[in-house]
Amino acid sequence: MKQTLATLPVLRAKLKEERSKLRCIMVCCGTGCRARGGMQVADAIRDELSAAGLAGSVPVELTRTGCHGWCEQGPIVTFEPEGVFYTQVKPEKAKEIVASFQSGEPVSKLLFRDTKTKRSIVTYHEIPFYSKQTRWAMRNVGRISPTEIGQYIARDGYKALEKVLSGMTPEDVISEVEKAGLRGRGGGGFDAGRKWRSCRKAKGDVKYLICNGDEGDPGAFMDRSIMEADPHGVLEGMIIAAYAIGAREGFIYVRQEYPLAVEHLGMAIASARENGLLGENILGTGFSFDIRIARGGGAFVCGESSALMRSIEGKPGEPRAKYVHATDRGLFDRPTVLNNVETFINVPLILDRGAAWFAALGTDGSKGTKAFSVVGKVNHNGLIEVPMGMSLKELIFDVAGGIPKGRTFKAVQTGGPSGGCLPEALLDLPVDFDSLTEAGSMMGSGGLIVMDDRNCMVDVARYFIHFLVEESCGKCVPCRDGLKQLLEILARITKGQGREDDLDKIDSLCFVLTEGSLCALGKSAANPVLSTVRHFREEYEQHIKDHFCRAGVCRDLCRYEITDACTGCTLCAKACPVECIAGDRKQVHVIDQSKCTRCGSCFDVCNFGAVEVRSAR
Amino acid sequence: MESKLMHVFPGKCTACRNCEQACAFAHLHEGRPTRSRIRADADPQLREGKHVLVVCYQCDAAACVAACPANALWRDTETGAINHIAERCIRCGSCVAACPFGNMRWEPLAQHPSKCDLCKGDPVCVRFCPTGAIQYK
Amino acid sequence: MIRLTIDGRRVESRNGEYLLTLARRAGIEIPTLCHHEAVEPAGACRLCMVEITRPQWNGWSKLVTACLYPAEEGLIVKTSTERVLRTRREVLELLLARSPRAEAVRRLAAQYGILEPKYAVDQEGDNCILCDICTRVCATHVTGAISRVNRGVAKKVATPFDEASDVCVGCMACARSCPTDAIAFSQDGATRAIWGKTFEVVPCTVCGAPTVTREQARWMAQRKGVAEEDFYVCDVCKVAKTGLSCRKVMW
Ligand SMILES: Cc1cc2nc3c(=O)[nH]c(=O)nc-3n(C[C@H](O)[C@H](O)[C@H](O)COP(=O)(O)O)c2cc1C
Ligand code: SF4
Ligand code: SF4
Ligand code: FES
Ligand code: FES
Repeated sequence: MKQTLATLPVLRAKLKEERSKLRCIMVCCGTGCRARGGMQVADAIRDELSAAGLAGSVPVELTRTGCHGWCEQGPIVTFEPEGVFYTQVKPEKAKEIVASFQSGEPVSKLLFRDTKTKRSIVTYHEIPFYSKQTRWAMRNVGRISPTEIGQYIARDGYKALEKVLSGMTPEDVISEVEKAGLRGRGGGGFDAGRKWRSCRKAKGDVKYLICNGDEGDPGAFMDRSIMEADPHGVLEGMIIAAYAIGAREGFIYVRQEYPLAVEHLGMAIASARENGLLGENILGTGFSFDIRIARGGGAFVCGESSALMRSIEGKPGEPRAKYVHATDRGLFDRPTVLNNVETFINVPLILDRGAAWFAALGTDGSKGTKAFSVVGKVNHNGLIEVPMGMSLKELIFDVAGGIPKGRTFKAVQTGGPSGGCLPEALLDLPVDFDSLTEAGSMMGSGGLIVMDDRNCMVDVARYFIHFLVEESCGKCVPCRDGLKQLLEILARITKGQGREDDLDKIDSLCFVLTEGSLCALGKSAANPVLSTVRHFREEYEQHIKDHFCRAGVCRDLCRYEITDACTGCTLCAKACPVECIAGDRKQVHVIDQSKCTRCGSCFDVCNFGAVEVRSAR
Repeated sequence: MESKLMHVFPGKCTACRNCEQACAFAHLHEGRPTRSRIRADADPQLREGKHVLVVCYQCDAAACVAACPANALWRDTETGAINHIAERCIRCGSCVAACPFGNMRWEPLAQHPSKCDLCKGDPVCVRFCPTGAIQYK
Repeated sequence: MIRLTIDGRRVESRNGEYLLTLARRAGIEIPTLCHHEAVEPAGACRLCMVEITRPQWNGWSKLVTACLYPAEEGLIVKTSTERVLRTRREVLELLLARSPRAEAVRRLAAQYGILEPKYAVDQEGDNCILCDICTRVCATHVTGAISRVNRGVAKKVATPFDEASDVCVGCMACARSCPTDAIAFSQDGATRAIWGKTFEVVPCTVCGAPTVTREQARWMAQRKGVAEEDFYVCDVCKVAKTGLSCRKVMW
């Protein structure tokens, strides 16, 4: 039924009332948990519930949620409102889970075990990974069924829209967002309110609004999680933005690889239309706005604003020079606002709770919270949302659980492939837009890749440049040919064919990339190289001059040797995939260098530090 | 200002080809009459005084202009000539095919069209015609 | 009127003009490889970079491509600062390593003191520098038979699926507009081959000399609603015909 400004609050109150009496079993059916059988778990629990005679009888509900952002623990099952948290659930466990739901006794084998204290934890409120987070953008992630609009509405959904349409002018909305200091979460950190204002001021009666859900950073998945788990939050933010800038038509650009996000967004759009929240005459106020989904081909560069707009227009996804702003001439040459998924989902919060509330979170220059996708050598890979300004150290060591296997932290790459690597000395850096940029990296969309002493910084730089070579659109010379040359040099260095003048050439190439490239992909492509040269120059020099890769990654530049510290435990010999380690139990083992492939398995398994990385020479 | 026009007096042309020499020299810096933009079309029977000069009419509704897809042919408001703007020309050759009178030619070396530009208002062919068979007034 | 300075010279501009146009009008040379007056600028070669600033920027400045940057009131443009020159040299280094045999690239590089590329030379590198002039020319003015395909280093100019194009008219505008002569074609009197397609160059109906391809004539005829046959007479025979009709009228 189409809601109006008068009926929506009534509906919300009714839903809230109903839902407050409910107890729910929530099964994560996001992309990660699905891949590990989340749907089967949900079905098994459903069958178990009906067998136990609980199905349908109020007040129990089985909810399939979207991605919690902690897929490594999936499939995840939680009980609400208690917060009981089960990890890595298999369908066979359905019976025990339902029993536990009834009795209140936790299934200890399914509980999360803290890596440090080795203690089992019952509810997610007590798990540091959750308790140290401040989930505002991800407020509904894992807490509601993304396919049921009622659950969103019951959690104060569409309340901000209701408030906006009940008397705020577009001007009011824009100044509220400006006052909140909301900066774009997609990369550049541009002031969202200011962008909206220029678009509102731009001449033209047709204006467009686009949500950037391309999320091309490898390893990043906060936008996917939000679109999958809370699609209405994104829609609400967009509808408010459209009202502010005067757009009647909007697009959500989602990459091809996110079918579930597309499905959930599609269902959300349909139900928002049915409920009079989207389409003609929204909430009976006369304001009209509709949203379509545009599916991207999955090229990294298509996340860049001008390339994205070309792609929606059906043209090749190539960037254009931005001397004329998209807010004046964007999609189909009309004034256009493009914002990231996470930017939009913050909008209802700002309008509902007020700019002052939002601005109180975070730092002077960067307000609110930011979701990070933390991956690599940390105990907990997953999505972490914290207030801006938290130090990298706290984020990595306290929230994400620190470095596994007692190894030492070496660097963290922030901002995805075009961000930079920051060393240990900068761990106290607060994560906010300006601090990261100043340190030679960037916030980007919030990817954090943590590296330990087993990561070679030259190889890391080579890896990112390789990625960018593959993803450069190839339109402009510095990016297309410069990255190719850069990769050639880095690949040579990692193969032990580095030359004396390579660092100078690297410097020249970084210069021309930064100064000469057309779009931000090329302009920022030098960051991984510049930052590793800056903070880990001696590693480059060791590669070039001493032919030595201390991390034991570049196979031509290292060899593994077993020292006298060997206790003869035979663990390494068992781990070696090519069986080239010989030695009797309790005797010092020896590696046959002629067969060794330098995979480092022995190094990784040795508990006594008896395996050493040495120069290949 | 009403621009001046080329006036051709067929009876006066002796097919001496001075005009062709002058034109080729002025535009190509070499005296190759075959590349001239004005042509002295001699009577095949070489009957005295029955030769004709063929040079661009700078037509009002010019076929070359209509055929050019790149807007590389523009009328000079001062001289009235249709000028070929080399920088805008994509060298497709459409104009050459389109001109019904053969006044748009193809430069095989430079690979672009060439046509009479009225020498910016002072046509050399006129200056070099010994008999006044072509006049600009 | 917009007023700005380029290399200290005061220039004036009507709306919508690009810095490159203004600089050239003022006699200031800026090298370009992807610029062509017949098409919209692309900003692909990055050679035309200039440095811009404003008094209120407090010494901050940035590089922009002159071929794409519209004139703005009060702008201070410098076309040959050390920053500009270094960028230009590095771009030329990259182009020379990519297309070491392209005459236009070699000439420009030499002008900037680069005789041998310092980066690894692409031995298979053809002359195409992906300036995009050919594809823009064809798309804007002819039939859009070619486009740039693939991404990044694999990018190239091609017909769809590398097959003989069904819309190419064989006019050769692409090949003739290419600054580095990178587009392969062959022709003899009666035929012309380009982009994997062989065209008949229709012989002059009077003397038999080659005129235009049948496809181009058809395309022209269609655009202008005239008879295709009109195009099959060579310019020499057209002159003769003009002469003859003159004589008929006169005598
Ligand atoms: C190469 C490249 C890739 C990008 N990819 C994304 C992306 O995947 N998602 C995104 O939101 N923004 C991406 N951006 C940033 C967008 O260009 C744009 O700044 C952003 O979507 C604007 O939204 P915001 O102001 O809300 O951040 C990318 C930028 C570049 C240069
Ligand atoms: S910088 Fe790279 S991605 Fe951007 S336009 Fe140039 S080639 Fe394309
Ligand atoms: S050759 Fe040049 S002038 Fe002639 S039609 Fe083609 S673009 Fe126009
Ligand atoms: S899909 Fe379940 S936590 Fe990500
Ligand atoms: S001429 Fe401006 S970028 Fe090529």
